[in-house]
Amino acid sequence: MRRVAITGLGAITPLGNSVEALISGLERGECATQYMPEWQKYKGLRCLVGAPVRMQDEQLIPRQNRRSMGRLSIFAAQAAQQALKDAGVSREELSSSRLGCVIGSTMGSAESINEAFETLIPDFDLSKLNSTKFFQCISHTAAMNVAQYLGIIGTVMATNAACASALQAIGAGYNLIRLGEQDIMLCGGAEGLHPTVVGSFDVLFATSSSYNQAPKKTPRPFDVKRDGLVCGEGSGIVVLEDYERAKKRKAKIYAEIIGYSSHGNGSHVSESKREAITLCVKEALERAAVSSRDVDYINAHATATIQGDKEEAAAIRQIFGDTVAVSSLKGNIGHTLGASGSIELIASLIMMEKNIIYPTLNLEEPDKDCQGIMHVMKPLNKKINILLKNCFAFGGINAALVCKKEK
Amino acid sequence: MAEQTIINMVNEVFIDSFEIPADKLVPEANIFNDLGLDSLDIVDLVVALQKKFAVAIRDDERVRTIRTLGDIYNFIQLIKTEGNK
Repeated sequence: MRRVAITGLGAITPLGNSVEALISGLERGECATQYMPEWQKYKGLRCLVGAPVRMQDEQLIPRQNRRSMGRLSIFAAQAAQQALKDAGVSREELSSSRLGCVIGSTMGSAESINEAFETLIPDFDLSKLNSTKFFQCISHTAAMNVAQYLGIIGTVMATNAACASALQAIGAGYNLIRLGEQDIMLCGGAEGLHPTVVGSFDVLFATSSSYNQAPKKTPRPFDVKRDGLVCGEGSGIVVLEDYERAKKRKAKIYAEIIGYSSHGNGSHVSESKREAITLCVKEALERAAVSSRDVDYINAHATATIQGDKEEAAAIRQIFGDTVAVSSLKGNIGHTLGASGSIELIASLIMMEKNIIYPTLNLEEPDKDCQGIMHVMKPLNKKINILLKNCFAFGGINAALVCKKEK
Repeated sequence: MAEQTIINMVNEVFIDSFEIPADKLVPEANIFNDLGLDSLDIVDLVVALQKKFAVAIRDDERVRTIRTLGDIYNFIQLIKTEGNK
């Protein structure tokens, strides 16, 4: 099996539209959550806070590419361009059949899906639908739009596993390179914020609804006063590359991916299960050939739901005890769902580079159910050699990725 | 010759839907070669013209013969005239 390096990063996030802006926001301890007054028109929607991206420069994407892009595909295209530039991938490499992309999202653009039905349903008249709405709505919209925009002719795939989409995309790209089927992969996730997406969590009482008038205090991962997640949006794209190839061209290597695992829980569509999380994380560590003692930092999934945080904390406690630093970035950027795995991995790789761990924002008092693990509650200067990134999705799909710092 | 109102409204469709600069919107402009529309854009052009002029042209075979912006002006003029009879 070939080794796989991460050589480029790109991010569009609620804290800003670049990796630098994301990191700067994290350094300042900024919370991107804001009150969304326009959501009040949805009856029964209790959560009126979100973490939106301020879309910029979308006009730079040519109209004939942009017309098939919903919000999330625009984010993915912009993040992909950043990542390619960061990695120094040449035009020739980009048009090679050895370069592909795997980009996931929960679904197609929620905004576009709503627009399509709003157009169609009043009169049940298909003649009012434009030609490209379908391409904005399909489940592989981000992957196919990025591929079309950049002229990618290698493997193009989408992973649609809700909040595990991005990490599964990175895992799929990792395996394609390991197997020798591709040399370079653009991988990650994207998501667009829309009240109907928030509603899917809201009907399950999984959203934060007590802080509508104090948005900067939510979400609160692991905290005793947490009351649910806050939806965000954006995209994170990483460039994965055959390790030897990256070394040969003297590329900057952020880290080497050394382990990946993804499992179903086989028991419940919405409830996280500690046993399934434990299985997934342990397997990722085994595949990475490292022990729990070797891990320096865990970037938790922790979305601030009552049930999910408790189960993740229990799994971490069982595997790592209270010896490995843990933080969640959801307090800063909300839950970017299908993009969360890659955006948060990118932030973790910069933490690895800077020897610092950004804390779990809004975590003031760890809940009793979430204790027994090493919560990072203020910036922690620490050398990270090996990190673990967790993602858990609706549908009972878990994913874990292990990365090692390049020496 | 089409009415100026029709010309202006068709041009608005090209500016709003296809982001084409107003100075390129001359009657002799070929909508494919000069204005850069493709097969998907033609679907959207029909949808936009139907909405703009409150007409039903989706299944009108004459749409297939359109090549220039002037053809559209004249086609819409004709449709409106037919509708008024």
